[in-house]
Amino acid sequence: MPVTFKWGARKGDIPPDTTPVPEPAAAVSTSKVLPRVISALAQRPSPVLLDLGPVVGSNIAFFGDRLACKIHVEDLYNEVEQYARKANRDGLAASLVGRLTHPDESIDGVLCWDLFDYLDNASGKALATRLATLLRPGGVLYGFFGTTPVDLLHYTRFAVASESTFRQKAYPATAVRRNVLLTRDINRMFEGLVVAESVLLKSSTRETLFRKP
Amino acid sequence: MNIGKSVIIKGELSGSEDLTIEGQVEGKIELRQNVLTIGPNGKIKAQVFAKSIIVQGEVHGNVTASERVDIRDNGSVDGDLSAPRVAIADGAHFRGSIDMQRAGAKPGEMKHGDGKTTESKPAPAATAAHSAGTPTPVR
Repeated sequence: MPVTFKWGARKGDIPPDTTPVPEPAAAVSTSKVLPRVISALAQRPSPVLLDLGPVVGSNIAFFGDRLACKIHVEDLYNEVEQYARKANRDGLAASLVGRLTHPDESIDGVLCWDLFDYLDNASGKALATRLATLLRPGGVLYGFFGTTPVDLLHYTRFAVASESTFRQKAYPATAVRRNVLLTRDINRMFEGLVVAESVLLKSSTRETLFRKP
Repeated sequence: MNIGKSVIIKGELSGSEDLTIEGQVEGKIELRQNVLTIGPNGKIKAQVFAKSIIVQGEVHGNVTASERVDIRDNGSVDGDLSAPRVAIADGAHFRGSIDMQRAGAKPGEMKHGDGKTTESKPAPAATAAHSAGTPTPVR
């Protein structure tokens, strides 16, 4: 509702502006790796995906529509947050791996997003090993790895907007220091998988596609 | 048909008309040809089968629809979903798996945003190691 200013009016006479303030639109990012992920999954009959992030309705609709797939949603960020609040990561590795009770070699694609930025080396290694076991031969794993050691003050919800773009929306997190992994650390951590594509983004984040031979 | 807030049903619930549940149901719900709406006050601990299911309340159990499952804002599902179409609103809670596999879907057949279905091309051969770290206009 427009507010008309009146000379001499008292502050209380002016009705409050109740127009809802729109949320800032999430930035759209272009990806060179995402089309490869989708293409790889489209080759597989009735693919099974494992999404390690919070459920995003548009991603479910997107992948379901394009791939007619089955998607397991296991929000491991929630697990990470619980341990971050306790300021103690003892048991985090077991907790993450314990959530992934799917049979070995039953998954065609894993959507890791930037989960490994929030994990210590021990938890990251345990999770990576489990994920490699879960993947079927030819399966793919998609992740982002930050390269700058900063405090992470939020988690990011990645929403796939098209076959080559996605939107990112932040939501609150208990601050943790990013665990920066060098390329060789990543290769060692994901033993059993090979890097099929790796692109350094302007944001200093490495967008990576792994494939299980 | 409406099941009110104060109603608690334990057992099997089936029917042949659309139904809205605001109360509590434990057991099994079958409305194979109809729309089931679980209202904001509805609390379900049951296996649910219907043509179309709208969740505004809480569901613990597996949910199967022959057409569509729609979890609205503040709706919550702990269980596995199976339906050709699934919509989950921002703010909804979901934990489980979602099966949208279509019978007869062929590998390599990918549907585009315009609804057209085409044979997708094989992915280009994987690069041996890391591709050049080309900065891309993102983020």
